[in-house]
Amino acid sequence: MAGLKTASGDYIDASWELSVAVEELGPEAEPLTLRVTGDVHIGGVMLQIVDKIKVKQNWSDHALWWEQKKLWLLKTNWTLDKYGLQADARLRYTPQHKPVRLQLPNRRMIRVHASFSEPVFRAVAGICRVLTIRHAEELSLLRAPEEKDKKKRKGPVLGTEDEFDLSGVVLPASAEQQPFRGMPAHFSDSPATEACYRMLSVSWTGLTPEHVLKMPRPSNLMEKAQINSRWLSSSRSLMQQDVRENEQLWLRFKYYNFFDLEPKYDAVRITQLYEQARWAVLLEETESTEEEMMVFAALQYHINKLSLSADPTETAGEQGMDDLDSALSNLQVKLEGRTSTSDMLENLTTIPELKDYLRIFRPRKLTLKGYKQHWVVFKETTISYYKSRDEALGEPVQQLNLKGCEVVPDVNISGQKFCIRLLVPSPEGMSEVYLRCDDEQQYARWMAGCRLAAKGRTMADSTYQSEVQNILSFLQLQRASPDAPVAPDAEAMGTQWLVSPRYQKKFKPKQLTPRILEAHQNVAQLSLTEAKMRFIQAWQSLPDFGISYFVVRFKGSRKDEILGIANNRLIRIDLAVGDVVKTWRYSNMRQWNVNWDIRQVAIEFDEHINVAFSSVSAGCNIVHEYIGGYIFLSTRSTDKGRGLDEELFYKLTGGHEAL
Amino acid sequence: MEQTCDDIDEMFSNLLGEMDLLTQSLGVETVQPPSPKESNKEYNFTVGFKDLNESLNALEDNDLDALMADLVADLTEVEQKTVQAQKTSHYSQSEVTQPSTGVCAAAAYDYKSNVPVTTTGCFEDDLPPPPPDPAFNLPLPPPPPEPLTQEELETQAKADKIKLALEKLKEAKVKKLVVKVHMNDNSTKSLMVDERQVARDVLDNLFEKTHCDCNVDWCLYEIYPELQIERFFEDHENVIEILSDWTRDSENKVLFLEKNEKYAVFKNPQNFYLANKGKNEGKEMNEKNKEFLLEESFCGTSVIVPELEGALYLKEDGKKSWKRRYFLLRASGIYYVPKGKTKTSRDLACFIQFENLNIYYGTQYKLKYKAPTDYCFVLKHPQIQKESQYIKYLCCDNQGTLQQWVTGIRIAKYGKTLYDNYKRAVQRASLASGWANLATVKPAVTSGSSLTVGKIEPAVSMGQELLLQGVCVWGVSLCNSHKHGPATP
Repeated sequence: MAGLKTASGDYIDASWELSVAVEELGPEAEPLTLRVTGDVHIGGVMLQIVDKIKVKQNWSDHALWWEQKKLWLLKTNWTLDKYGLQADARLRYTPQHKPVRLQLPNRRMIRVHASFSEPVFRAVAGICRVLTIRHAEELSLLRAPEEKDKKKRKGPVLGTEDEFDLSGVVLPASAEQQPFRGMPAHFSDSPATEACYRMLSVSWTGLTPEHVLKMPRPSNLMEKAQINSRWLSSSRSLMQQDVRENEQLWLRFKYYNFFDLEPKYDAVRITQLYEQARWAVLLEETESTEEEMMVFAALQYHINKLSLSADPTETAGEQGMDDLDSALSNLQVKLEGRTSTSDMLENLTTIPELKDYLRIFRPRKLTLKGYKQHWVVFKETTISYYKSRDEALGEPVQQLNLKGCEVVPDVNISGQKFCIRLLVPSPEGMSEVYLRCDDEQQYARWMAGCRLAAKGRTMADSTYQSEVQNILSFLQLQRASPDAPVAPDAEAMGTQWLVSPRYQKKFKPKQLTPRILEAHQNVAQLSLTEAKMRFIQAWQSLPDFGISYFVVRFKGSRKDEILGIANNRLIRIDLAVGDVVKTWRYSNMRQWNVNWDIRQVAIEFDEHINVAFSSVSAGCNIVHEYIGGYIFLSTRSTDKGRGLDEELFYKLTGGHEAL
Repeated sequence: MEQTCDDIDEMFSNLLGEMDLLTQSLGVETVQPPSPKESNKEYNFTVGFKDLNESLNALEDNDLDALMADLVADLTEVEQKTVQAQKTSHYSQSEVTQPSTGVCAAAAYDYKSNVPVTTTGCFEDDLPPPPPDPAFNLPLPPPPPEPLTQEELETQAKADKIKLALEKLKEAKVKKLVVKVHMNDNSTKSLMVDERQVARDVLDNLFEKTHCDCNVDWCLYEIYPELQIERFFEDHENVIEILSDWTRDSENKVLFLEKNEKYAVFKNPQNFYLANKGKNEGKEMNEKNKEFLLEESFCGTSVIVPELEGALYLKEDGKKSWKRRYFLLRASGIYYVPKGKTKTSRDLACFIQFENLNIYYGTQYKLKYKAPTDYCFVLKHPQIQKESQYIKYLCCDNQGTLQQWVTGIRIAKYGKTLYDNYKRAVQRASLASGWANLATVKPAVTSGSSLTVGKIEPAVSMGQELLLQGVCVWGVSLCNSHKHGPATP
């Protein structure tokens, strides 16, 4: 379109110059200038640009970005006029997908390509497809906190900073993902991506107490509210929200409403959810009591131990017993595994017994008697003890049925004390008995027997040997920890890192380990996935679970208060004391409105209850999106075939910006 | 007929004698199953009876028949196995493994050998060969790709046989107990309960016997007169297991009655989940919202325990004084706020956790322990039967708070099981009411446990009912005691 020119060189037709910056030409390069008229289509403009650049590459992902208006010109059949574009517009010709550095819920970094042109809701869905996390609508992105936090960190850089690169991964075109070698096919391309899949689906085992201590911890509700100011808006694109290429973002489960957790498909999702839960517990974002912390610690210890030997490709096999073939072949293995029938008979019918000289102590009021040596026989679930071995055929001094009893370890390795405290129920009450063993081996055998007996099982139980091993390895842990300088070996780290810093300070390792051991006996037989699920469930049962905090100012109130947003209710919390003032449930909610001018959220509940507040700690739109997001999630149907109604999501969360 | 009966008796006592010999020769120190001839009176253990004969007399005829049929069946199985079993030794060993409460089983054997019953023969004749264990048919090894060698085949067949025999042996060992249940009209009923039955099964049995309306509030109710405590059995609890915690001379009783509290939380969940510190109680809620609330609380990844906290009185150890403390309920246990601390999670002290613990109502504690009110609940290990420092007594200000605590603790302890129980109870109740409405229409058979129940016509008059019972319930008991597997659906 070579127009006519005036003497001064200006064109006299309707055409004008459009300048377009192209990053591929280098940062110093002058923007391209194109001669266009208002009725040129965007597609035509892009064609001209590619012609002009004269660089051969795939330009299919590129699109035009209008800097001043923060707008992608994605509708290629629209004309410049229709977009209202004029000569003063600064355009960039840039890829729609750019790499970002993503911190995952397990605090590890990966590089992935994210869509910078679609709404964040879709960008997250895209990322989750690469990571194979189902139900991406539960996750979202946050900006990383300001760099000033980093100054506080001293000492060696944490191991969590290693970066995994998934930016080169190409997803198969079909929506159905075919697993290959036990993992989603796109992970099996190279050893590097395989390692990445392992990182995603197996819990990281290299954690040390320092890791926990160095992470910033919220100490009050105000600080807990801070994180929520960093959520990106789901209905706008990353580019629109000024996110730059290679910027660090956090990927987190945002809505605490986990739909249809299924170990068979959700290896990565469950692992990442467990990791988020674990960090929430360790950093006391979700507060727990001492007893609960010990259960969390025991589960972490157990998960860690299993993860060391875990093969991510096996996780599917672990659960996939519904497959008839695998069930059958499993059975075959089991049957053939038996060496001979007589062996089998023996296994099925004889119950191992323990017989030994042990020291026994029965605490009573007003006695100073100590431990006394007895010949002790442990058979089925019953312990009988005799004055000596010779009297074992006669009447025992006492007989204790351990079914339903409480078993507490009382161990001090440096003091060579290996005691088992039994609280045995009887019609008259509980009787307390201490069994003192001579060494670790003996202790582990008897302890394992006691634990099984307490659950009404005998030592013939298939779990007996693994129970013995568990106890021994736990003792090992304790042996390594006191005073020893920090060894690189993960086991030698002791148990400190399993609990939050508050409890690290409160307990010495030798106090902590027995308590974790005690809690461990209830979880020791769980499989890796079961243990993770148990952790998630225990986390969900905490009263503070799933509440996102915001500092708000209620209408008519003069002081700042806290608004907690949970998956089923809104909670008004006193900022100073932390007490719940009032709870409103979504099920009673009639409607909610946002007055964007005065940045106020107004909610109407049944019975004409009206609540209005403005947000202090975060943008009004974040609060709005949170509430709308939960309403949206509650509309999900159990019918798995149905996709998500994305439009509804934007309607509920987007506010006027979505329009 | 008499002849066959004697034969079996003889064979059986021979067998028992042999077992005893073997047991003794093995040098067993633990409690042995008592030798049947000498010690019936001391060891035979039935719940709510002074001795075995009384309990047997109290059993209705049809129960006796059923019991008889059971024993004969056991016996024939045992017979078959004696032929089949390769080693007598493993046989006796497994008999030794019977827990010490095995006296109940002995009671059953005893009964067989002491009471002459003339119908045995006909039972034996009619008895079909024991059906192959269904669990056994399913997981057959896949057809091997290559034909196995003769030796392999033999070993496998042998292994299968042994497994089958062991399975049968287990079956034959099933403990049975005659339980006297007190009805709300002060009458009693005796019924046989086997060790695999849970409270739900027993309730179903009682429904058949009493022709009550089968609504969800019916429960088995346990009363300890000595401790003045009581509670309803949860439907999934194993009845024999509970009863075997009672002492031999126990005055404890099992009642069959209606308790609205049992499933109140599912009828009006808002009273437990939405009540704000005693306010808004008894507020109505529409059914849809209730369902939604229940779905949310019980059907998620983890069950939501109602938020519950407040001041309760705690009885001090060994004293009749009560101290007021601030308690909080969490899924992991009951906590209290220590002196001078706040109620943030980290400051809470654990009062008690729910493992190995049952919750009871304490009755008339104002009188017994000088409690501030009569709204008391008690936490104790199921095995404790006498007063002890290990029993915790708590006292609430009013009935509403008491119900909230008891229900909250049950939810924390049993979780989703409670909801499953309720749904099953509702199903059972609607089944019953369906029949009442359509007495003539035979309902489609929905589940195995209701198979024979269909015969009972709810519309018959009292006199006929008794007659009918004689026939129908007989069928039920026989059916139950044989085919009723472990009661989980």
